[in-house]
Amino acid sequence: MSKAKVRDVASSTPGFVWVGAALGLAFLLLPLVGLVRRVAWRGLLGNLVGGPASEALRLSLVTSVIATCFVVLLGLPLAWVLARIAFKGRSLVRALVMLPMVLPPVVGGVALLGAYGKSNGLLGSTLYNLFGLQLTFSPLGVIVAEAFVALPFFVMAVESGLRSIEPKFEESAAVMGLSSTKRFSRVTLRLLAPALLAGTAVAWARALGEFGATITFAGNIEGRTQTTPLAVYLLLESDPEAAYALSLVLLVVCVGVLVAMRDRWMGRRS
Amino acid sequence: MKRMVGVLLACICAMGTVAPAAAVSPLKGEITVSAAASLTDSFTALAKAFRAANPKVKVRLNFGSSSTLVAQIQSGAPSDVIAAADLSSVEKLVAGGSVVADPRVFARNSLAIAVKPGNPEKVKSINDLARLRTIALCGKTVPCGVYASTVLARSGVVINESNITRGADVKATLGAVVTGDADAAIVYKTDVIAAGKAIHVVDIASSSNVKTMYGIASIRGSKNGLLAKAFVDFVLSEQGWKILKGFGFQKP
Repeated sequence: MSKAKVRDVASSTPGFVWVGAALGLAFLLLPLVGLVRRVAWRGLLGNLVGGPASEALRLSLVTSVIATCFVVLLGLPLAWVLARIAFKGRSLVRALVMLPMVLPPVVGGVALLGAYGKSNGLLGSTLYNLFGLQLTFSPLGVIVAEAFVALPFFVMAVESGLRSIEPKFEESAAVMGLSSTKRFSRVTLRLLAPALLAGTAVAWARALGEFGATITFAGNIEGRTQTTPLAVYLLLESDPEAAYALSLVLLVVCVGVLVAMRDRWMGRRS
Repeated sequence: MKRMVGVLLACICAMGTVAPAAAVSPLKGEITVSAAASLTDSFTALAKAFRAANPKVKVRLNFGSSSTLVAQIQSGAPSDVIAAADLSSVEKLVAGGSVVADPRVFARNSLAIAVKPGNPEKVKSINDLARLRTIALCGKTVPCGVYASTVLARSGVVINESNITRGADVKATLGAVVTGDADAAIVYKTDVIAAGKAIHVVDIASSSNVKTMYGIASIRGSKNGLLAKAFVDFVLSEQGWKILKGFGFQKP
């Protein structure tokens, strides 16, 4: 869009749209201002270093990064199939993939218990009986919960990225005689890089902020499964200053991710 | 014809139950009662009975851990009555001037251990908790969490923090055993009674158990002070006690 065209649209936009937009923005920003106002800046570092806060941050960092790797490994093929292969029931499969985005995370946690719980999970009891592997109340369980809620965000970004790639690039690569694997790695992946990066970042931010599925499925064990959002929730009563400090960290990270990605994760719109 | 007679009979019955109660109680309006999570079932029943006696009164129930409720009230959440699982929670409101009068003790409770049905880990006493993989306790600032640490200390049992999952309130703590994979939870006796067959109960010896006290008070500045007082009186009444007793609470 050229600058002149933008100005045209701006001047012809009716006043009530501006007012509505301003109200919408204020509605979203006011709580953030309210949070930042409560942060005790002087003791900020002391509240974050040492004690349950730093343990929660460390755990969150480790689990969310591993969960994101898991998301990329599973999400990329999934997005590719959804974007490129027309099969019967594709829209149903897509809806099911997106489900964790809208499902209440606590419900997601209950569902995870039904699948991977030690005592009566579909797969969980087998895992435990055969390998002695227990996902619930373990850091591994945190990773599973985070990956479960973050995967759709990645798939959505990458699928729309794949759709926006002009087929002619891949077609000409095929004409040049590149094998399908090489075509994927040299042409598709390279063109997909921005969407891939955006999807990864947003999935990571979502994993970092996961609460409901984690506390339901993995519990709330200090140093093992108590991630930063869980620590915020529990510290609000015992140590509010530490809770606000941790909230600030999460806020800054999320703002950072979204600003860096701008609106790429929803697919670039020009 | 048969159906019409049935409808007519139903109408007469309904009139018979509603009319005298409406004549008795002039109270009307709406109150919000903030009650400890361990009072979930009993206060739901109490509110229902109160409503039956005062048909024009609507009781809204707000359950949570007592520490959460206190924090909510302190930050101005609209509430007319607080019923907490310990007295120190209500004392905080007394100190801050948020309640009308000193809290009254309306019930007592004690702790018990909940394990999976059939007791697969063969827990016989509180001492066995130390060898389990995951034990659910309430948060450190939640009354049931404070009581649990007292009981563990009195029994000389030390549980590694990395084996403890902490629930936001007592129902969430029990839920870790009922729906989750926690091996045991320390909760109130009334909670294990309410859970029925979903769990197996292991008693805690009375020498190391605690006798917990529930306190109730009206909140200062309530727009429905009269209703709030009526509800508090109802909980403290003989009828109120009968309901509480039915859920396994002990006499204050």
